[in-house]
Amino acid sequence: MKRQRTWLYLLFWIAISFLTLFPIYWLFVISVKPAVELFSTPEIILTKFYWQNYIDVINDETLRGYMVNSLIISTGNAVLVTVLGFLACYALSRFNLGGKESIFFWTITNRMAPPAVFLLPLFLLLTQVYRFGDFTLLDSRIGMILVYCTFNLPFAIWTLRPTIDGIPKELDEAAFVDGASAWTVITEIVFPLARPGLAVTLILTWVFAWNEYLLAATLTNFNARTLTTGLSEYVTTTGTEWGIMATISVFTLIPALIIFSMVQRHIVAGLTFGAVKG
Amino acid sequence: MQSNRLGWILLAPTLVILFFFGVVPFFYVLWLSFHQWNPFAVDPNIIYNGADNFRALVFDQGFLSSLGVTIAFVFFAVLSEVILGYFLAQAFMKEFPGKAIFRTVHTLPLIMAPIIVGSIWKLMTTPSIGIIPTVLDDWFGYDLNIGTSALAAFTVTVIMDIWHWTPLVTLTLIAALASLPADPFEQAQIDGANKRQIFWHITLPMIAPALLATVFIRLMDALRTVDEVLMLTGGGPGSATRYLGVHIFKEVFPKTNYGYGSAVSIIVLYLTIVACWLLYAALIAPRNKKA
Amino acid sequence: MTRTDPQDIETPINLHEQEEESRQSPIDRKEHQGFLPIQTNWFDRLFISVVIWVALCLFWLRFLEPAGLSLNIAQVIAVILAVIIVWKG
Repeated sequence: MKRQRTWLYLLFWIAISFLTLFPIYWLFVISVKPAVELFSTPEIILTKFYWQNYIDVINDETLRGYMVNSLIISTGNAVLVTVLGFLACYALSRFNLGGKESIFFWTITNRMAPPAVFLLPLFLLLTQVYRFGDFTLLDSRIGMILVYCTFNLPFAIWTLRPTIDGIPKELDEAAFVDGASAWTVITEIVFPLARPGLAVTLILTWVFAWNEYLLAATLTNFNARTLTTGLSEYVTTTGTEWGIMATISVFTLIPALIIFSMVQRHIVAGLTFGAVKG
Repeated sequence: MQSNRLGWILLAPTLVILFFFGVVPFFYVLWLSFHQWNPFAVDPNIIYNGADNFRALVFDQGFLSSLGVTIAFVFFAVLSEVILGYFLAQAFMKEFPGKAIFRTVHTLPLIMAPIIVGSIWKLMTTPSIGIIPTVLDDWFGYDLNIGTSALAAFTVTVIMDIWHWTPLVTLTLIAALASLPADPFEQAQIDGANKRQIFWHITLPMIAPALLATVFIRLMDALRTVDEVLMLTGGGPGSATRYLGVHIFKEVFPKTNYGYGSAVSIIVLYLTIVACWLLYAALIAPRNKKA
Repeated sequence: MTRTDPQDIETPINLHEQEEESRQSPIDRKEHQGFLPIQTNWFDRLFISVVIWVALCLFWLRFLEPAGLSLNIAQVIAVILAVIIVWKG
């Protein structure tokens, strides 16, 4: 009886895993099929691989540019928000700043609003207001890095706060007594101890920035377009290049999958904003 | 202790960035929503027009239908995810070989970009390319076409959301179930309670905080769903899947009627806040009082 | 922006914070039970008032203004409601 139940659960979970994995597998199947074979009867088992889509995507200069943009923007944003979040959390944790809990909550609220609401004001501000002579933040990498701070910086502050709070105050107080400067204390005492937390924050904010589509689609035209927006360019009313679209999807997916293996345990806490410990 | 000035200096960059990209946009859009502004119209100036934008908004059929389908989408998606997630979490509470692997596989969709999820499901469900329409046609003779059938498109977006986000519910509920003490359950079994009684009187009250937090998060995320629907159906057919975010992106934003667009944005923000706050007030606050 | 949301999401911290706050300044942050069904502080009540204000104005625009009632009436009602809620809620 008992043993039978175990097999039942196993079968059940194999079925669920199949449902989870099959769509991803199907994406791969489409990406390694030539366009002419797509419309014939779908085959589930692959017999031959057709890599031309991958070669096309890699050789496409525009898409390569998008990939570079994606990498620069998400890396730049992740580093920026992690550093700023780290400094902000240190300030919130160690100093007796007036109204700091209100400030903390206010920063967190910035993440709650739907990004769609901010499309219009951000677009208008970036085109009309935030400009320095000829230089506008619209369609620039630095602009996207700053825009992504709206939702990533609150996240960094939220996840780093417990880490910094967990580092004993006595350590840096002792260092200050010994005459160390604030810079030394932050870089040589607090930073090494906070490193694991910083790494998780860096990785998760990187993924969020990498995955973002909506703001990138509205706030960039050509120079700073990211891979996710490149994907939507292949879906047009006249006809979609399915193979290319699937291949770009695979390319967008790969970094996320690699990262997935590194921070799997932290994903749930990250996505629920720490409200539920997973 | 160091002077507070250093603290403010460390905090300053964060506050400055969030001020310019969080606070300013909010007040800017609020201010614009009371003005008429279309740079490409006959009169391109910004003119104060009182509540005219909102007056137009409450009679805007496109917006109202978008609101309706959004509510339906959020309701069906979140409800199915919570029910399904609960059963999957229960199934995870038992011991069986390879549990860790299944758990990892189950977590996989969470890390994927919404737009990729949209593209995957587009490849799955587009007629003549996707496998789902083919299988449905061959086995059941059912013609699934998300390009023409409003109901099919709506259902597919809900299923896509379930595929993408049920793991989140499952994993949060696993955490909640795993932290439950065993005593009340043993006691209930001794007292001869049946499964349903145990669920309603013991399990549910004990996991309620985690469950509500999860519902809350899912609700907020579902309300802001844009990318995957944009990719999968583009809001169509007609306006069947034009959820609020998609509505702003596809209908409001491209028309350069910025004053009216601001009014739509403000109301969407308002509705999001109210929905979340109502859930909080109705469900979470009374429990705190009791505790 | 949406200043009340994080409190909604992270209830334990919220409770803790409000406890702390009420200890620091017991006069203006005090939790209080009025005619509203939940315990509120003055900020919550202000928030509720604004929410009701917006809802009332939208409702008015949709249904009552076409019937000839000016929107200003809605404003007056909303302000009176807000005063009552903040005072007694």
